[in-house]
Amino acid sequence: MGFLLLGIVAGLAAVERKGFLQAMLSRPIALAPLTGLALGDAAGGLAVAAPLELLWLGAVNLGAALPVHEALGTVAVAGGAVLAGQALGTGVTPATAVLALLAGAPLALLGRRADRFVEVANERLAAFAEATLRRHHPHAAVRLNLAGLAMPFAIAALLAPAGAWVAAELAVRLLHAAPGLDGPLRVGWWAFCGLACAAGAQALRARRAGAIFGVSAAAVLAIVLTLQVVS
Amino acid sequence: MTIRFRTRAHVFWRCLFLQAAWNRRGMQNLGFAYAIEPALDALYDDPARREEALTRHLGFFNCHPYMAAAILGGAIHHEERVAAGQEPGAAPLSYKATLQGPLAAVGDGFFWTALRPFFGAMAALGALAIGWQAVVVAVLLYNLVHFTLRAILFRAGYRQGDAVVGLIARLALPRMAERLRAAGVALCGATAAAVALRAGGAVLAAEAAAALVVAAAAGAGYLALSRGAPLFPAAYLVAVLGTIVAAATGWDGRP
Repeated sequence: MGFLLLGIVAGLAAVERKGFLQAMLSRPIALAPLTGLALGDAAGGLAVAAPLELLWLGAVNLGAALPVHEALGTVAVAGGAVLAGQALGTGVTPATAVLALLAGAPLALLGRRADRFVEVANERLAAFAEATLRRHHPHAAVRLNLAGLAMPFAIAALLAPAGAWVAAELAVRLLHAAPGLDGPLRVGWWAFCGLACAAGAQALRARRAGAIFGVSAAAVLAIVLTLQVVS
Repeated sequence: MTIRFRTRAHVFWRCLFLQAAWNRRGMQNLGFAYAIEPALDALYDDPARREEALTRHLGFFNCHPYMAAAILGGAIHHEERVAAGQEPGAAPLSYKATLQGPLAAVGDGFFWTALRPFFGAMAALGALAIGWQAVVVAVLLYNLVHFTLRAILFRAGYRQGDAVVGLIARLALPRMAERLRAAGVALCGATAAAVALRAGGAVLAAEAAAALVVAAAAGAGYLALSRGAPLFPAAYLVAVLGTIVAAATGWDGRP
């Protein structure tokens, strides 16, 4: 049941991402908690949402350029982390999160290849629509537009649960085999989160971004630590 | 002849599916024809003229999906005149061809590379500092801005036709985008600080070590990425390197 829901969530996200609406619901920050919710652990999904959002902040569809499929990657990573946490009985921890990330993130690259495949299929769909219009069936011709949503849905609905399962299996097996890795993997996760913040800042391509990034981080740290010392 | 509000609302709903069948040859052509079809049905009683109109909208079209609302509204504006015999059939096409490129550039620059990343960064920081409620608020705010602008552009395109360009210029979206990008970077910096604090927990002495890992990854990562380092290998390298260093030094990462 969990995998079925995961497939539906991934499929709908793939559709929302490009074909319909584009209301930020397929962005990692919204999709990761929804993925967790589908598997019964929304908080676990939320735990990986922020770094994934920042990592893929620059994944945008500009013109004909294809970005990585951040929605597919998100479902695989968040789903993998939640499933691994459930199997280990620990919930999502930094260790399960980083292992799910390492195993699940390549699905975002695979998703980009799938997007190219979909574009080719849609070319045939558009040609068929033109032919249908020439046969004087205008309503049927333009309604073929909606058929373009089917393939992204199906691809994501099949690939994402498989990716999440593989990510969870790898994480569980590794942590069973080497429980001592839990601590070091925690450090790996925090290091990755730091890089994700940098990736987000860099993707925005603002003027003086490096200075703004460093100053804002230092200012927040200084304020919070000062408040902790004072209290 | 003018299109009823109900029909225009139907077209607006269908414009949400603009990219459903995006393809490399005609790009959003099928989506545009699908979106404008209810308006053409209302305007042309003669099936031959309706088909002719639909055929011209099946030609190449590509724009930012939100900004395309202005072009869709404007195309209906021109189709009304074509149906009334006041303009030639090429007028809507000429309108689309003139505006699609510039509006795509404005939309990409404002919505995709500024507004959405800004709200994404805001939601990321909110998720760490507050929880899921912050994510819901950020997504709602984004969509309030997004749908309001989309509806305004559609309405202005329909009412003003070519003059919609003036309204878009007055919105000063490129200038606003610059500010949003800078604010988004500041939010990423604040998120890095929040991550460092969360990594260390509440114990001040231990925070230094954990915060150092985050700060080193964020600082070195920023420098590497801004010099063209590829994102995926960088993410893997940092995660694996962090793990290896911690394993080698016997540090379990806990405060």
